Amino acid sequence: MTGRKEKAPAGALSLPWKIALPLLPLLAALAALCIGRIAVPPADVLRSLWSHLAGEGPLPAQTETVLWKIRLPRILLALLAGAGLSTAGCVFQSLFSNPLATPDTLGVASGASFGAALGLLVGLDLIGVQLVSLLFGLCAVVLTWLAGTGRGRNLNSIVLAGIMIGSLFTALVSLVKFTADTETKLPSITYWLMGSLDSAGYGSLLLGAPPILAGILVLFLLRWRLNVLPLSEDEARASGTNIRALRAAAILCSTAITASCVSMCGQVGWVGLLVPHMCRMKFGSNHLSLLPASVFTGAVFLVAVDTVARSATAAEIPISILTAMLGAPFFIALMRRSEGGRL
Amino acid sequence: MKVSVENGSFSYRKGRPVIQNLDFSAGSGDLVAILGPNGAGKTTLLRCITGFLRWSGGRSALDGRDIRSIPTRQFWRRVAYVPQARGVFSSLTAEEMVLLGRTNRIGVFSVPKPADLDRVRALMDKLRIGALAGRKCSELSGGELQMVLIARALAAEPELLILDEPESGLDFRNQLIVLDTMSRLAADGMCCVFNTHYPAHALARAPKSLLLSRGGYLFGETGRVVTEENLEKAFGVKTAIGEVETPGKIYRDIIPLEITDPGGSLSGRKDGPPRAAAVTVICIGAASGGRVGALLREYRRYLTGLTEIPCRESGASVITAAFDAPPDEIVALSHRLGMLPGVSVKTTWAPQNRSESPA
Repeated sequence: MTGRKEKAPAGALSLPWKIALPLLPLLAALAALCIGRIAVPPADVLRSLWSHLAGEGPLPAQTETVLWKIRLPRILLALLAGAGLSTAGCVFQSLFSNPLATPDTLGVASGASFGAALGLLVGLDLIGVQLVSLLFGLCAVVLTWLAGTGRGRNLNSIVLAGIMIGSLFTALVSLVKFTADTETKLPSITYWLMGSLDSAGYGSLLLGAPPILAGILVLFLLRWRLNVLPLSEDEARASGTNIRALRAAAILCSTAITASCVSMCGQVGWVGLLVPHMCRMKFGSNHLSLLPASVFTGAVFLVAVDTVARSATAAEIPISILTAMLGAPFFIALMRRSEGGRL
Repeated sequence: MKVSVENGSFSYRKGRPVIQNLDFSAGSGDLVAILGPNGAGKTTLLRCITGFLRWSGGRSALDGRDIRSIPTRQFWRRVAYVPQARGVFSSLTAEEMVLLGRTNRIGVFSVPKPADLDRVRALMDKLRIGALAGRKCSELSGGELQMVLIARALAAEPELLILDEPESGLDFRNQLIVLDTMSRLAADGMCCVFNTHYPAHALARAPKSLLLSRGGYLFGETGRVVTEENLEKAFGVKTAIGEVETPGKIYRDIIPLEITDPGGSLSGRKDGPPRAAAVTVICIGAASGGRVGALLREYRRYLTGLTEIPCRESGASVITAAFDAPPDEIVALSHRLGMLPGVSVKTTWAPQNRSESPA
């Protein structure tokens, strides 16, 4: 009758995108393996990968080490953190019906930063720092939850509580920096806070990846239900959804993801804001397509930015500086071309 | 399906009840309007019926079962709620928005199937909004959005449809589209309950009305509830209910005249001395003929004679019924007849008995 022909459920990804989106992070990872101080041709990377599955590597020992001990964990971290942060950002924007929401809205990242700064101050090893950071990230959300929920409260009061708890932990971070030894401790704390993926190792991934993967998986499974989040409370309940449970699940997953990301690579800003909005402009607001798109695009984005960060200049550029410098102009251009930052 | 409120009371603050001891029920095929001034508790009542708010006393029931004992998902398969169309700024497309109505028939961790989509598309075509499918909700006009929200509610295949001021803020074409949709749904057996700011819409469409005023309420046949006296008591507005005659029907409309003081108890009975009247009905189709017959049977104790003349060429049938009844009963009957689809009605009254006049 009308011109509608496709049989796919409304808002689902079309087949080419279904194939392209998961493929892109793999290609980006392969490219990132090749690029760096020691350039490795893609064919060699693949050959090395193939023979690694069998046994001994064919390349010079130094190259093998660079590829599999240094670059690969770092790329895996970038994939995970990029996917995680953009997923968490996407969910928070829908949850709070606010295009400015980021993974840090509930104070998670500030809490995790404080934990990491504290860990560095008392001189824990990297895994210890990561654990303390994770702990304080979760702690911040629990505080936000306790402060912002209760009788007669709504989502706005949770956001307000999140801002308060966030600034509380930011102040605590400043306190730690103030007390830190300016020769030894302060530089490492400052550097860590700017965000960097160079501490990546298989040990830290083993600890940090499960919360991120689990969070993404649950949110992915809930992707159709997430469409209910931006509706008014009455409408959400009228769709037969237990809106409180859904909100709690969304917050819990996003928090686990964010805290884990920050504990591994510090505050990587912008990914959680930029990538979901890029995806919204391209794929619309239906989480059926928006959520998978955010996961994969976030992964590609952070791998690309990190590759530039480590190989553009002799000294590594902190990744937050790059995400902002690349992201802001790109985002503004996108926004001006489309209709603006709608949810 | 029967929805009822039993002895419902609600107060936002202790000691200041908004609704007190309210009883009300509606069944399949009913179209009920809820009227009342701002602040009388119309929206509160709807939100209590649906369980968004908890009654302070009394209960709402679905087929006699307390709604609080019905699991949420089950409840929302039978009941659907249409919010006011303002304030929706989602940029989902209309089709996705309607598909959201299927959510309670989809598992928590699963996504809509092609069958769900087919159903949604058929529904949108039926409501004549198929062309909106790909448009973003944030870009729809108020009238289009309201129809999309109604479609979303219907996508859940409910038995009871609750609408919060569905025709507010729309131009009169869109108001008619929404009202026609509700009338059609009720004629197909849906139970529709809606809030409205327009007493005239209740008069035109709803066989039954619930008039709320501060502290009191009146529920019954619209012709008895929406009267000049009751409107003045509830709203504090002196009104004139006038009639406009077209070739097919006599329409009743309400003109607000001046502001007075609200107050006084609402009353639905005002039986005067009996008066003779002839109700003439022309209906097309067996279905509407059956509905007319059923209504006339309800009033058979006042009926003094009945003729039914079929017109074979046009397929219509002309029914003339003579009544000797209190004028209110006749008005209520002809009002209810007038709301049936495919029916024309006119009522002719005997001259007033002037024997008491001094002339």
